[in-house]
Amino acid sequence: MTATTGTTGAPPTTAGGTAVEFSGVTRSYGAVRAVDGLALTIAAGETVALLGRNGAGKSTTLSMLLGLLPPDEGTVALFGGTPEAAVRAGRVGAMLQDGKAVPRVTVRELVAFVAACYPHPMDVSETLELAGLGEFAGRRVDRLSGGQAQRVRFAVALAGNPELLVLDEPTAALDVEARRAFWRSMRAYARRGHTIVFSTHYLEEADEHADRIVVMDGGRVVADGSGAAIKRRAGGTVVSFDLAGAPTGPLPGLPGVSAVEVRGDRALLRTADSDATVVALAGLGLVRGLQVSPASLEDAFLTLTSAAAPLAPAAAGTPATKEHA
Amino acid sequence: MLDYVRLEVRRTLRDRGFVIFGVGMPVVMYVLMTTIGVGAGGAAMEWKTASMVGMAAYGALGAAIGSGTGVAEDKQLGWLRQLRVTPLSPLRVVVGRGLSASVTVLPAIAAVLLVGALLNGVRMPAWQWAALAGLLWLGTAPFILLGLGNGYRLSAQSTGVVNTGCMVLLSIIGGLWFPIELFPSWLRAPASWTPGNRFAALGHSVTQGEAPGLGTVAVLAVWLALFGSYAVYAYRRAARTA
Repeated sequence: MTATTGTTGAPPTTAGGTAVEFSGVTRSYGAVRAVDGLALTIAAGETVALLGRNGAGKSTTLSMLLGLLPPDEGTVALFGGTPEAAVRAGRVGAMLQDGKAVPRVTVRELVAFVAACYPHPMDVSETLELAGLGEFAGRRVDRLSGGQAQRVRFAVALAGNPELLVLDEPTAALDVEARRAFWRSMRAYARRGHTIVFSTHYLEEADEHADRIVVMDGGRVVADGSGAAIKRRAGGTVVSFDLAGAPTGPLPGLPGVSAVEVRGDRALLRTADSDATVVALAGLGLVRGLQVSPASLEDAFLTLTSAAAPLAPAAAGTPATKEHA
Repeated sequence: MLDYVRLEVRRTLRDRGFVIFGVGMPVVMYVLMTTIGVGAGGAAMEWKTASMVGMAAYGALGAAIGSGTGVAEDKQLGWLRQLRVTPLSPLRVVVGRGLSASVTVLPAIAAVLLVGALLNGVRMPAWQWAALAGLLWLGTAPFILLGLGNGYRLSAQSTGVVNTGCMVLLSIIGGLWFPIELFPSWLRAPASWTPGNRFAALGHSVTQGEAPGLGTVAVLAVWLALFGSYAVYAYRRAARTA
């Protein structure tokens, strides 16, 4: 699909160095702490996924990263300077979550305009090709389907050939096929040595497309590493069964259990000792639909993010322990 | 920044509502007001000229203020936010938007003046036509700033209503539709201080072959400063919350 790999203008030099650095960053909306003491360093050339549920603080983090929102406390640095300076210098491209189609311009006009704002833009046709918009170049942006409009927003982020590409939930409105095409394009862009930060609440996406996953919850980093490392970190086995109306109160106290999650009528217990947990459940008569399975990334994610009190990210290697609210 | 101006001008001219109401309305009103119940002779010709200036001013004022409605829509769509993550500085975005607005007032001015010359037979030396168009164009600056201020300050829905309200109010009280000589005496003095009235006075002075009065320029300058401060204040607020 993307035959050309060369870009116009000077190739950005992103090898080595730090692209993004958050230190002690806090941001509140009224009484709600959206981001709480965030410390995060992203090296140039990395592809990083910010993974978390809605309200975990991902969008606020990305807004501060882009200089759209000043932190209440702490500092955010891009390439060693302020986010504003990096944006002004054309080193950053972004796909914002709430962006809608700009009316009454064609796809090519819009992308060409954005490209012209940057010092070393990508060729417009190449951008359109990369974003899968070749055939829609002459169409008006406000007359495209939701998925196509999303590709336009991706093209707008790419147009300036930025060193750092920031994507806030880039695949939220896409169907499976469009999603696959999107990630192909993004990987092609990452291979050119660019730094990419994207947020998502899809685990598979984070696992498949990022070198590194930063799991956020309650405005903090609760885990940070490769998908495999996060699975290891959350570790253990998951025992699940149908509650059938039984109270969940005694579950956290069962032997071996480190975390409890209730999904509908089904209880999922993370346990370091599944035999002891199963025996205890049998004693309580809670065996309907009983399943014992190794922890998946999704389970790991739930363990990491369902804590009422955030876990210390430094506690890597030890199984997460927590109280269930 | 010129790319931005070009983009915004294109977007405005593709807006059918803008073309119909922003350009068509003043032309239609001008034609109606100068054909119904107007006889021939010197007085009729005078009215045709005065009304031409009034309606061109009204069209320009509408397009100028209306550009702010577009800003509010852009804000709602997230377009202003998207612009903030491009290398374009906020100042350039605002100035660019002002410039593009000032370009989009030209069709309304040109259309009414053309109808005046071709249909109603208004005759003036070429320099007067040029001066009239030029002054009407420059005179829209305060209204552009008022519209932009509303656009940055208010939501898209309320901006539309407030801007239309401002436009109609300023046009009527400024005597753009009917001359203020027809107003009750208590209203005449305050009406003459409004920006719409002084804006039209710029044009009327040209058709009478005179330079614009110092008072007129001074009053417009005060309004320009006032609306300008408002626009800057509104943009700063919008930048904090957008």
